[in-house]
Amino acid sequence: MSLFALQGAALPTVAEPAIIGVMLLYGVIVGGIAVWATRLTRTAKDFFVAGQGIGIWTLAIAAMSATLSGFAFIGGPGLVYTLGIGAMFIILPASFTNTMGAWVLAKRMRLLGEVRGLITVPDAIGARYRSRAAQGLSGIAILVAIIGYMATNVLALGLVVDAVFGTGLAWGIWIGLAVVMAYSAAGGILAGVYTDLFQGAVMAFASILVFFYALNAGGGLGGISRTILAGDPGFLGPWGKLTPLAALSFFFVFGLGALGQPHVIHKFYMLRDPLRLKWYPAIMTAALMLTLLLYFGVGVAVKAEVLKGTLAPLVRADDATPQFLLYYTPVLLAGLVFAGVAAAIMSTVNSFINIGAAVITHDLPLALGRTLSNELHWGRLSTVVISVVAALVAQLSGTLVAFLGIFGWGLFASTLVPALAIGLNWPGATRSGAIASIATGLVTTLGFETAAYFKVFSFPAGVTVSGLSLVLSLLVFFAVSLLTRSEAEDIDPDIRLVMET
Amino acid sequence: MAARAGMAPVLLGTSAVAVAYASAFLPGGAPGWGAWAMVLGIASLSVGLMMLGASRQGRPLGVLVWPLAFTFVALVGCFGVALALPATEVAGARLWGGLPARTALILYGIGALPALVLPLVYARTFRTMTLDSADIERIRAARRATESTASAGNP
Repeated sequence: MSLFALQGAALPTVAEPAIIGVMLLYGVIVGGIAVWATRLTRTAKDFFVAGQGIGIWTLAIAAMSATLSGFAFIGGPGLVYTLGIGAMFIILPASFTNTMGAWVLAKRMRLLGEVRGLITVPDAIGARYRSRAAQGLSGIAILVAIIGYMATNVLALGLVVDAVFGTGLAWGIWIGLAVVMAYSAAGGILAGVYTDLFQGAVMAFASILVFFYALNAGGGLGGISRTILAGDPGFLGPWGKLTPLAALSFFFVFGLGALGQPHVIHKFYMLRDPLRLKWYPAIMTAALMLTLLLYFGVGVAVKAEVLKGTLAPLVRADDATPQFLLYYTPVLLAGLVFAGVAAAIMSTVNSFINIGAAVITHDLPLALGRTLSNELHWGRLSTVVISVVAALVAQLSGTLVAFLGIFGWGLFASTLVPALAIGLNWPGATRSGAIASIATGLVTTLGFETAAYFKVFSFPAGVTVSGLSLVLSLLVFFAVSLLTRSEAEDIDPDIRLVMET
Repeated sequence: MAARAGMAPVLLGTSAVAVAYASAFLPGGAPGWGAWAMVLGIASLSVGLMMLGASRQGRPLGVLVWPLAFTFVALVGCFGVALALPATEVAGARLWGGLPARTALILYGIGALPALVLPLVYARTFRTMTLDSADIERIRAARRATESTASAGNP
């Protein structure tokens, strides 16, 4: 199942003047923020870690915006419509993953930025294990995952632009990407986080309003449940249409995998005052849960309306949100949600572009024992190259894009959770263990996904490739670290201090 | 450096998740205990990782033991009850907070309750258990020491 192939087919056309107006206003505000932030971007440190000068609200909301792609607004409600409560297991872990991430990663990443001036996630792996190979390999894994993630997100952005402005898909992709590329190349992550702050606010506001319209349409949550229980009781079972093991497998992948998402982890470097991390879990969790109300609300409300016969059965599950907006909300709110979808996609794409550019201009040269003389210049150039490659890939066959979109989250999780999240907290982790686990995550995720996608091998019910790859990577990490435990003391004193703090 | 608290549940949890996935490859598909192994694995891994991250060299977990125990009980309890109870999701079933009982237990007990408890515990214990100004000063001193060593080596 392609959880992150957000949208493979065209959305219904929603080219109404009010929606176009809201989208244009949204674009103007994003552009204004980007121009302002671009003027502040003078060094590579500004470009890649926002000059290590952002506040806790900006950090938390930008992390939330980057976490949620358009999937939260379009694909997610469609998945709830199809799988029932089973689809909720993707977002259920949000109740604790941010606090877990704060304990496991936030403080240590921020302190690594303080003690070494690190700017990328692979930097942290390289410093922890004193290993260029580990840094380079994790950089390659991130780059591979980013290509897949970005292609699907850019395709989804093109579909949204096409649905609102009627541009056609190809132009939609280039127009949408040109906007993101402009502020990503000019202002780097500094422009990214401040546009993310605005975009996150749009997403949360739109989600809360739509959730109340969804409850209202179905006669409250009780009314929606009674309608669904009368027509399709299995939909509202605790596992929905999934087996318990399959639903729990989602929970495992999206719960533990949250510790391996570089577009969130990377942002911990950017916080101005480390003591403000105190409020990170509270702000991030509240923002995330409010923004995910639409995911649940629209999914169950549309199901109830279809069962009541007031809405025709959906031709495609991904039509759930557009159909609901079309028939049950005021047109201005529909415009706001489409702006929210665009915001969700653009904030995710911007983060990926920046991380990818950092891998190309910083991590890979370092892994090869070199440094580039002007990282800001090369960072901007890499941003443009990555964007153009993603747009070209997004215009290839839908099958290829869907395939690329499958493995993003899982590849991040299986390559970064053991080596980074556990490695920064467990002094027994070794360089060999880290390299072996990153390689295992890379090979098993790509290998299993390819085998499954091309039907060379089918995995039994309840087994997700991402989950299997993550657990194999963890097992290899522990086994190799234990076998090479004589390496475990090989930690630099300042890194050891960060791990002990 | 002593092995940190949390590694035992992390190792146990990883093994339980591996067993759960392995059970799905058995002839006839995953047996009932496969889902139970996954529940125990998820709870042990999640809480173990939180212990690992929250623990600091030479200090006990202190009051953090309670919210972490609460998280473990919430995960095992809510998933476990949902697995153990018979299905009651039928037309006219009694609703709890607008949802059938087992579903309400999962959505509210796991999807909402930890969100109300854990971030507040984190904030409340931040200065005493996670990070304070003295910690940051030690880190900055380490950076200054590294920089002065480097500059002494590169005149």
